Amino acid sequence: MDNSVIDIKSLRKNFREKEILRDLSLSVPKGSIYGLLGRNGEGKTTLIKCILGLLKPSSGQLAVLSDDPWRFSEATKENLGYVPQSDRLYPWLTVRQIIDYTASFYRRWNDRLIEKLIKEWEINLEDKVGLLSVGQAQKVSILLSLGHEPELLVFDEPVASLDPGARRQFLKTILEILSDRACTIFFSTHITSDLERIADRVAILKQGSIALSGELDTIKEEVKRLRIITQKPMAADLKLEGLINWEATAKEAIVSLRGFKPELKAYIEKNWQAKVEIEDLNLEEIFLELSR
Amino acid sequence: MIKPKFYFQISTSSGVPIYRQIIDQVKTQIATGRLEDGVFMPSVRQVAEELAVNPMTVSKAYSLLEKEGVLEFVRGQGMMVRPSAISKKSLQKREDDIVPILKEVVTKAEQLSLEKEKVIKLFESLWKETKDG
Repeated sequence: MDNSVIDIKSLRKNFREKEILRDLSLSVPKGSIYGLLGRNGEGKTTLIKCILGLLKPSSGQLAVLSDDPWRFSEATKENLGYVPQSDRLYPWLTVRQIIDYTASFYRRWNDRLIEKLIKEWEINLEDKVGLLSVGQAQKVSILLSLGHEPELLVFDEPVASLDPGARRQFLKTILEILSDRACTIFFSTHITSDLERIADRVAILKQGSIALSGELDTIKEEVKRLRIITQKPMAADLKLEGLINWEATAKEAIVSLRGFKPELKAYIEKNWQAKVEIEDLNLEEIFLELSR
Repeated sequence: MIKPKFYFQISTSSGVPIYRQIIDQVKTQIATGRLEDGVFMPSVRQVAEELAVNPMTVSKAYSLLEKEGVLEFVRGQGMMVRPSAISKKSLQKREDDIVPILKEVVTKAEQLSLEKEKVIKLFESLWKETKDG
């Protein structure tokens, strides 16, 4: 697809015998805020490193900005911004020095944007990088990833080390970046409430492949938990499309499924002579249902 | 042009998608008269930054409200609450809405052995405080 910034098909990544990513497919449309959700150890960082060309995939197809990450051209690299989980900035430099140092690697560098952000984020240029608080240091990392105005920004667990106040500030920062110029943001996290706020699309990573992906609103509308109460004994095998989990006692079943449509309630009620209650799930609950 | 204060509150622990939450709240506030006819909604960007949510979510909510005829886009000025978009609740209906809450207050006051006059005084001062902002 022309419209996707990241396009992955059947990606596999092994470390010796151990398979970290398997048969992973994912497509990130241009201009989206895309959240990658997964527990620790499910392969989020490995996937991000493959996308950035820092790890070589074992097999599969991978296109980022229509280029092969393992052989990124200079031009593509100039359109990528990356903020790693923990950035090891040179602690002896001042903020001003590290900005100048970073800028020197790029042909294009937007001084005015950086100046504007420094003012807005209340960053002191003369502070030593090593003495910054976690939140301030992260802001500097983000700043360094924005100066060359990348088309694609990749954040690996950007909020993991931040307190709730700083997390909210970070979310606002992302929105500010987007309102100033069009770019695509891809970020990984295990904090669902943040994703719920700002992501328009999400993918849930489970054991090295994508368990569910799509527009967040659609996912919330189509993944539901149903409580089915019947008079007759419950069928031993529930044949429902998109079934995720189910638990049944004699006269009651709790079922979670994807692809829910309002018609389904009437259908079950009619065919099973049952009463159906529908429960909305938030992203965290959906995530937990899928990782059970 | 009157800019209404921010009335939206979204919850990420709810299973209802955020754009739905915004739609529901706009409608409720129009029905209760909190958002008046002809008032302009805050801009998409303003709402997005205030709530720290994706601007696309806000504009999705606005455009669905526009489709339903609740809001109207006015060139250069933004989204306006369309006059009589939603039938206002009658006084009776509004009273019915508040009665259960007041009943709770009465019960609670009794449990705490607070006199009626004392509670009414408290109510009046709270009313004043809230109105004066």
